[in-house]
Amino acid sequence: MRLLEFQAKRLLSEYGVPIPKSVLAKSQDDLESLSFPVVLKAQVPVGGRGKAGAIRIATQLKEAVATTKELLNYNIKGYPVQAVLAEEQVEIKQELYLAVLIDKLTSLLLIMVSATGGVDIEEVARESPEKIVKKHLRPFVGLQDYIVRYLAKHIRLEDQLEGFRRIVNQVYSIFCDYDATLVEINPLAVTPSGLVVLDAKILLDDKAAYRHKDLFVKLQEEQKRAAKSGKTRAEQLAEERGITYVPLDGNVAIISDGAGTGMLTLDLTQDVGGQAANFCELGGLGGAESMLQALEVVNAAPHVKVILIGLIGGLTRMDEMADGILNYLEQHGKSKPLVIRMCGTKEEVGKARLRTAGIETFEDLETAVRVAVKLAEES
Amino acid sequence: MKEYGTDIVAGVTPGKGGMKVHEIPVYDFVEEALQEHEVDAAISFVPARLAKDAALEAIDGGIRFLVVTTEGIPDQDVLTIINYAASEGITVLGPDTPGLISPGRCKLGVHPNRMFAEGRVGILSKSGALSYEVCRVLTENGIGQSTVVGIGGGPLWGLSQQTVLKMFQNDPETEVVVLLGEVGGTTEQDAAAFIERYMNKPVVSLIVGRTAPKGTQMGHAGAIIEGEEGTAESKIRTLRSAGSLIARSPTEIPEIIKTVGSVR
Repeated sequence: MRLLEFQAKRLLSEYGVPIPKSVLAKSQDDLESLSFPVVLKAQVPVGGRGKAGAIRIATQLKEAVATTKELLNYNIKGYPVQAVLAEEQVEIKQELYLAVLIDKLTSLLLIMVSATGGVDIEEVARESPEKIVKKHLRPFVGLQDYIVRYLAKHIRLEDQLEGFRRIVNQVYSIFCDYDATLVEINPLAVTPSGLVVLDAKILLDDKAAYRHKDLFVKLQEEQKRAAKSGKTRAEQLAEERGITYVPLDGNVAIISDGAGTGMLTLDLTQDVGGQAANFCELGGLGGAESMLQALEVVNAAPHVKVILIGLIGGLTRMDEMADGILNYLEQHGKSKPLVIRMCGTKEEVGKARLRTAGIETFEDLETAVRVAVKLAEES
Repeated sequence: MKEYGTDIVAGVTPGKGGMKVHEIPVYDFVEEALQEHEVDAAISFVPARLAKDAALEAIDGGIRFLVVTTEGIPDQDVLTIINYAASEGITVLGPDTPGLISPGRCKLGVHPNRMFAEGRVGILSKSGALSYEVCRVLTENGIGQSTVVGIGGGPLWGLSQQTVLKMFQNDPETEVVVLLGEVGGTTEQDAAAFIERYMNKPVVSLIVGRTAPKGTQMGHAGAIIEGEEGTAESKIRTLRSAGSLIARSPTEIPEIIKTVGSVR
């Protein structure tokens, strides 16, 4: 889960990390509690807000109220702005960068800092990577003070060592305590009163949500209002049922029992001139019920003309998949045309059950893809 | 697995010690099982929330090779498993893997048997189902496999693509290697660097997700395109320039293999 800026800052502030005085601007009263000028920031879970004109400065109350209203009408990369964070402006002497993340190539934690943070950090990473100082954290050792001192020296921040040390340790604690996969502070501002976090991106591991139930529920409640607009019925159904479903623009719906074969089927569909309507995979789910539900999800998309089911189960059992398909047809009476490729565990039983219902299956995936695309073209 | 010829000597489930399943004795602890049996490897089917505990117990108990099939283990738990295993010199395959199979000899996984045949092509894949798909096509074309390794759906791996490539390079039973990758992350770029520098066996790569949209997770936790490096095009380009042959679909793989040698 990607936290909204105000959520990330609240978490940081709970750990003692300095942030500017701020409020979520819901009414004029909220804004009155701040000293001007203030920075008004649209709360959306995507980057590039500054360049989209969604971060603005207001020098007095009236202007702040008007700008807040205006920002609440914005839509940034598909996300309608549902909240605006108002923050007292601070005097920035320098913008630093600080991040803790999981380095997938080494399976170690990585801490990165730079003396040149701010909006152009990606360019810095590309053009002059030597300006980003990196240190891996050794397992079962974690963050030690020598690492903090090393980083401070290499971004010439020794005169601020105390504040820097506190912040790095607090950020590291948040990372570990909440199963984060990324805590990124950018910029970490050098101000006359010390270091202050001006923006933060925190990613929490959804797979560990069960360990932080209360926090996740609260964050999700807050984000619901800021959610991406216009979710389709198919997307809502998939979300309720925990089925992996990515809507696409074409008319051939695809259900697979593995992520890799799902992506392959997508590629093959396009290679023969077809367009996939979605990516949908059952992955570890298995069971007749999940096949039935997947069929309900993909059938809910109006532009679908044909449904291609590609199965090659190891753990997924074909007898259960066949039952799921038959249960769907029984409950709903009909479906858009089905093209089924079935092989793998218990395939004989699965194929026999489908055959009894007059449904033939394909053995070869590429043939099934071609048939499905042709059917979609003809209908 | 037992039917396939794998010599399963013991099972471990807390609280079920003393029972027998298909004649195989069950123990409460890994340590207890290892006191009674000589064990080369273990495979774990423990659910995500308990997977770390089980894996650490297996490593601590003295298992030398551990397959973790579980999907959805929190990343920080996976880091602990991988790093503890590394510090003890133990090999972990996975997580989120179907395991591995050496057709006709041994299976430590959940593969559907009939897709596989004995032969001399080594397969490594992030996706289980994709490896079944490719092996089915190879087997139908009379091309068998030496060993098929599922490294897992990521984004973290005990055994990396690079390490498995190295194992195939050193394996006298493998003549050609098929690398099955997908969008997301940069491990294929890493694998390409290894191929370029060290591999002298032919490598055929198939990268799926060419048509996947950016920024969306495609089933596997690791399969999300973030930045240019995560795209299939970028991976294909890097692998090709490293000397790998490129297939765009499973059916192209046997044709390509036939051009590089007489592999059966």
